[in-house]
Amino acid sequence: MKYALLTILTLTTACLLSGCVTSTVDEMIYNEPVEGIGESSVVILGRRHSSNYETEPDFVLCVGEHITSYDNSITVIGELEFINALYPWFEPRTAPLHPEGLEQLVLQEPVARKIADLKLEYIIWLDGSTERSGGSGSMACSLGGCFGFGTWAHDANYEATIWDFSDRAAVGHISTSASGQSYMPAVIVPIPIIAPVQGTACDGVGDQLLEFLSSEY
Amino acid sequence: MSRSMTFANRYQEHLCASLLSLLLLTGCGPATVVVEGRFPPPLIEPLPLTLGVWYGPDFAQHEFFDESKTRGQSSWVVKTGQAQIIMWNTLLAGVFEEVVHLKSAPIPGQNVPGVDGILVPHVSQLQYTIPKHTQVKVYEIWMRYRFELLTPDAQPVAEWDMSSYGKTPTAFLQSDQEAVNLAAVMALRDAGANFATTFTRIAPIQAWLQAQNVHAPGSSP
Repeated sequence: MKYALLTILTLTTACLLSGCVTSTVDEMIYNEPVEGIGESSVVILGRRHSSNYETEPDFVLCVGEHITSYDNSITVIGELEFINALYPWFEPRTAPLHPEGLEQLVLQEPVARKIADLKLEYIIWLDGSTERSGGSGSMACSLGGCFGFGTWAHDANYEATIWDFSDRAAVGHISTSASGQSYMPAVIVPIPIIAPVQGTACDGVGDQLLEFLSSEY
Repeated sequence: MSRSMTFANRYQEHLCASLLSLLLLTGCGPATVVVEGRFPPPLIEPLPLTLGVWYGPDFAQHEFFDESKTRGQSSWVVKTGQAQIIMWNTLLAGVFEEVVHLKSAPIPGQNVPGVDGILVPHVSQLQYTIPKHTQVKVYEIWMRYRFELLTPDAQPVAEWDMSSYGKTPTAFLQSDQEAVNLAAVMALRDAGANFATTFTRIAPIQAWLQAQNVHAPGSSP
């Protein structure tokens, strides 16, 4: 009984200190490389053609870093480096929306040459965003400090689509959603307890991509 | 003693008043953004043409001023001229085999030697929105360009409009000015992408390219 109470207390404290996050990940992979991607490289790009949200560059960077931190043999080309190197073909206006569009792209000789130089095998598109979905509570601050309590929620929804550059085909979809509640109690000093919603979504997508790309996972 | 105290007090009062006025004036001034960015060269096969380019003062010193309509809003000045020049110089040098920058405006009937055509860009419109205006968490910039393509003796070949759009999401510890700058850089990149991918598809330009014996992707064979 004492042990159960202690466990509940520990879990509640841990949850309160880091904010609570729940997440789900779904994947659908069609054609996984048997022995990883070897010498080839991969680029992770954010979709930016929607008018009311943008896939955050920080999230794209986070997923790339998650992959290389667990398997440093995988070459992940930086997003900005790639879109600058292939300007103007991966701007929001011109980026292909379907893998068939890659066929048209490589008809341009300089583009085909650049992609061969980069040894590009997979393009991974990340589409989605993290939104703050509500808040409540109140806080008053004066010279004596702050008093009150605030809480708010974040929802993250992302979808990763993997394109095989050689086959000009989509070979996998991964979707993740995470939501969490953040708190800010204030007794003289406000103490933010932020739920790592975007980080959890990043780990979820990163783990699945790692399984796809790495021979060691 | 009392005289020096009075003088010191008065001096302090003047100093405080001056500082307060300066602070208030600074607070009331328009939010100014001098657009700064780096623009990559385009990855395309250049057209085998020598293009003359004339940036008029309206283009080279382009700035947009938006006066605040309410007390809560601030006025905005967005200066894009310098960034326009950098972006278009980089882009055109990649789209055409050679680019010649004209020292003066082309005059009809006066031939500019050594060029196949002259391009004169204009910014005809610029609009922006910030989250304070729309409650949407993105900063946006729209630009509308008007281009004139002229023969070497400044006779019109084609005139067309082109739009561009750039947006950037709100970010932690990012000021309105930084976000508007980033949105403007995105709009400039978009303008370059739009120009590079559609230039050879404009009907009068296709005819002009054919007259120059140039076959480009998107133009008639």
